[in-house]
Amino acid sequence: MSNPVDLDAIIAASPFHRFLNIRAEIDARGVLAILPVRDELVGNVMLPALHGGSVAAFLEIACLLQLAHETGTASPPRAINISVEYLRPARREDTYARARIRRLGRRVATIHAEAWQRDEDTPVCLLQSHVRLPSGFSARE
Amino acid sequence: MTGDTNFDNDIRTDGVADMIDNPYASRMVEYTPYAVALGMQYVSSSAGRGTILLPWRADLVGQDGTDILAPGVLTALIDHACGLAIMAGLGFEAAPATLDLRIDHMRPAAPRASITCSAHVYKATRTIAFLRAEAWDVSPDDPVAAAQAAFTLNRREAK
Repeated sequence: MSNPVDLDAIIAASPFHRFLNIRAEIDARGVLAILPVRDELVGNVMLPALHGGSVAAFLEIACLLQLAHETGTASPPRAINISVEYLRPARREDTYARARIRRLGRRVATIHAEAWQRDEDTPVCLLQSHVRLPSGFSARE
Repeated sequence: MTGDTNFDNDIRTDGVADMIDNPYASRMVEYTPYAVALGMQYVSSSAGRGTILLPWRADLVGQDGTDILAPGVLTALIDHACGLAIMAGLGFEAAPATLDLRIDHMRPAAPRASITCSAHVYKATRTIAFLRAEAWDVSPDDPVAAAQAAFTLNRREAK
């Protein structure tokens, strides 16, 4: 499947995505999102660990990128709600994420994402997201 | 009878009434790198309650041309307000960590609007605090987001 959506352009169109310096690569499994570590993302200087808010925001963006990649639609959906689980502290290291669309309706999509650092099988954070799809949205078959 | 299988039955109150006001709670806003990077400002705190302001900033907008703060920015604000509420009540005897957090986005914030978030602990056990939080742009009666969270407290005292 050729992908007409330019993820770099989607990231570039969001000031907050640029603030987080999100990177995205596409491979056979979908979008691999990358949050490069930097000191500003730290929430606990004692551990040290990344702020839960930065990791959750990163996962929410990973959901949007996977949605854009799979549907070929660049127009952004609107956040309805999120549910985040923190499994373990995110170390002061680069963080990676993949998202999976669990349901794509006409108006609402349900997307799950996981973040990890050294080992994909040891996730640091899980996120479930519901988004309101843009009007006129149609899932590409 | 208490036992290890019971869930914190040693605390039968809401656990909040026992909290004391921590005069240094504002530090967790002022000295946390990510809170500083987003421009969070300490507003107030009291035992089990915390309020933080996030002034609008162009580089925190979700989408070019909308002037509306990204939802992910609110996530950090809400999470941090919850942490403040706990630290305000327990001081430095706890090292709280978010267990889970659920956020409902009721409506988009107004363009160029700063957001205030207020969180409160409605129940604290020996190991867990349960919190609710609201975030608003104009009035707390008309929130842009509502949240519910559970934190592990990691109290420093034994057990």
